[in-house]
Amino acid sequence: MRFLICIKQVPDSTTRVKVAADGTSVVTDGVTWSISPYDEYAIELALEHKDTAADTVVSVISVGGPRTKDALRQALAMGCDDATLVTGEGADALGPLGIANALKSAIDDLGPDLVLCGKQASDDDQGFVGPALAEALGWPHVAVVTKFAPSAEGTEIFKEVEGGHEVWKASGPAVLTVQKSAKEPRYPSLPGIMKAKKKEIPERPVTGIADPVKLEIVKLEPPPARGGGKIFKDGDTKAYAAELAKLLRDEAKVL
Amino acid sequence: MKIWVIAEKKDGALRRVTKELAAKAASLGEVTVIEVTGERVSGAAAAAALAERAKADAPDLILAGATPSGRDVAARLAAKLSRAYLSECTDLAIEGGAIEATRGMYAGKVRARVRAQLPAVASVRPNAFPLAEGGAEPQVTSIPAGDSPGLAFVRFEPTGSGGGRISLSEARVIVSGGRGLKGPEAWTQVEALADVLGAALGASRAVTDAGWRPNEEQVGQTGKTVTPDLYIALGISGAIQHLAGMTSSKVIVAVNKDPDADIFKVADYGIVGDVFEFLPAFTDAVKQAKAGA
Ligand SMILES: Cc1cc2nc3c(=O)[nH]c(=O)nc-3n(C[C@H](O)[C@H](O)[C@H](O)COP(=O)(O)OP(=O)(O)OC[C@H]3O[C@@H](n4cnc5c(N)ncnc54)[C@H](O)[C@@H]3O)c2cc1C
Ligand SMILES: Nc1ncnc2c1ncn2[C@@H]1O[C@H](COP(=O)(O)O)[C@@H](O)[C@H]1O
Repeated sequence: MRFLICIKQVPDSTTRVKVAADGTSVVTDGVTWSISPYDEYAIELALEHKDTAADTVVSVISVGGPRTKDALRQALAMGCDDATLVTGEGADALGPLGIANALKSAIDDLGPDLVLCGKQASDDDQGFVGPALAEALGWPHVAVVTKFAPSAEGTEIFKEVEGGHEVWKASGPAVLTVQKSAKEPRYPSLPGIMKAKKKEIPERPVTGIADPVKLEIVKLEPPPARGGGKIFKDGDTKAYAAELAKLLRDEAKVL
Repeated sequence: MKIWVIAEKKDGALRRVTKELAAKAASLGEVTVIEVTGERVSGAAAAAALAERAKADAPDLILAGATPSGRDVAARLAAKLSRAYLSECTDLAIEGGAIEATRGMYAGKVRARVRAQLPAVASVRPNAFPLAEGGAEPQVTSIPAGDSPGLAFVRFEPTGSGGGRISLSEARVIVSGGRGLKGPEAWTQVEALADVLGAALGASRAVTDAGWRPNEEQVGQTGKTVTPDLYIALGISGAIQHLAGMTSSKVIVAVNKDPDADIFKVADYGIVGDVFEFLPAFTDAVKQAKAGA
């Protein structure tokens, strides 16, 4: 079985994101880059399968500029078998449908059985590329997936919904957009890191990719400042609890 | 301006977010609330049916609730129609043939104003817009689901907890617990409070990772982003990844025994104290406050 995971490089989750002076981009100086968290969960799901079925091949792919190679190496160090970078002039500026089209063109050549994406990337928070890629490929997709089990007759896919999981079966190839799953993504091992350093990462050009829609960023701002709240301390917690209920009803008017 | 609202139902009734969007859409143009019928319809099958209809109807703007299923259908539909897609909007306006919307980026750490030419598709957070005055039910147009070749529904596996409770993404009040609650047993008390408040249950990742609560209750960067009127954080330290998911709540209450906990930096009301002293006292006090005492 061949899995392909589409990964995006984003600021690490501990980054305190700052808006740049132009008001439409964020400061990238000093940012630590990482694989988007849900994409890491997707890698973990595929590697777990590889742990039990040795003939599994886990590939990763990313569309982006030269820096994106670091994310691909990180995935190789976790235990993925090979990586592809789709890059070139404009790779960083592609819109979501452009990224989906660039991924589709690579997937046509790579021929995976199952494609995994993150539920959403943690920079644009969109959740568009996965379903758009499925559409471009003409494949079904299942969103918010927490686990899957391939078998001879197809893949059972667990989709998180209110109150439980829907189990779906894909008879052929499909795109899954992965939610946080039961197991935390593994850390790269030292031998993994050494091996990843030596691996070639083939590149594909982004030229000639259709990119039909654009989302223009008009303005970025930090979320409205909070704080300056009423903090009760050094007193009787029970009395504070009673006072709080009254404040929530009469002052905040949320009860 | 022709606007579609993709309807979502729960237990046979329209979800509140559908009604919120219908009311908003009516202020922008001519609204069609449209429901894809069928049991367990996949996102692709719903999108197929809607796309077919959209070809004839040519709506300028298609809105869906930013619930898991609303986002699923909206994204696939936007791709099918090759339209711009704006996800999880918290506000929107139409201006000169374009949609301008407010939405979170960087896991909620940045607020963005974005713009796309119409026609477009957008998913909108529950609780972003008020219901129509008078509360009349919108009329609903039904269409049958399309196909999603290669994909079939097999079965439903319930989680076993949280049944009957309002969903996190739509809740107006959320009671959320962290590692400070010490173990799953504490949720008997958390649930008692949630019952009195009519609240949904949330949790920090420390709690879902420990298996005290199911993953679907996690709030934050790798969990749900929530915007209730009231968010009560119990024994949660306020890590940046947790804050990302809840700082846009209208009112935040924090209870933590550590006066330096970061959660107090975003709290409107905070109590520095023991959550186990707080819980029963507060549950009683809310009962009384609601009864008008
Ligand atoms: C990529 C990534 C993604 C992440 N995504 C998320 C996410 O989506 N959501 C999330 O929540 N976290 C997320 N995290 C984890 C996050 O960094 C924190 O580890 C987590 O939020 C901590 O949970 P907590 O506040 O419950 O636990 P702790 O940080 O351990 O805090 C427990 C708090 O309880 C207080 N306390 C203890 N006893 C009592 C008592 N008796 N009474 C009152 N207070 C008490 C303590 O003072 C402390 O502040 C993520 C981390 C990473 C790296
Ligand atoms: N530039 C990219 N390269 C590879 N995969 C991507 C890229 N952008 C997005 N994806 C995939 O699509 C998912 C959803 O991204 P988004 O639609 O941007 O929220 C991500 O979690 C990735 O799996």
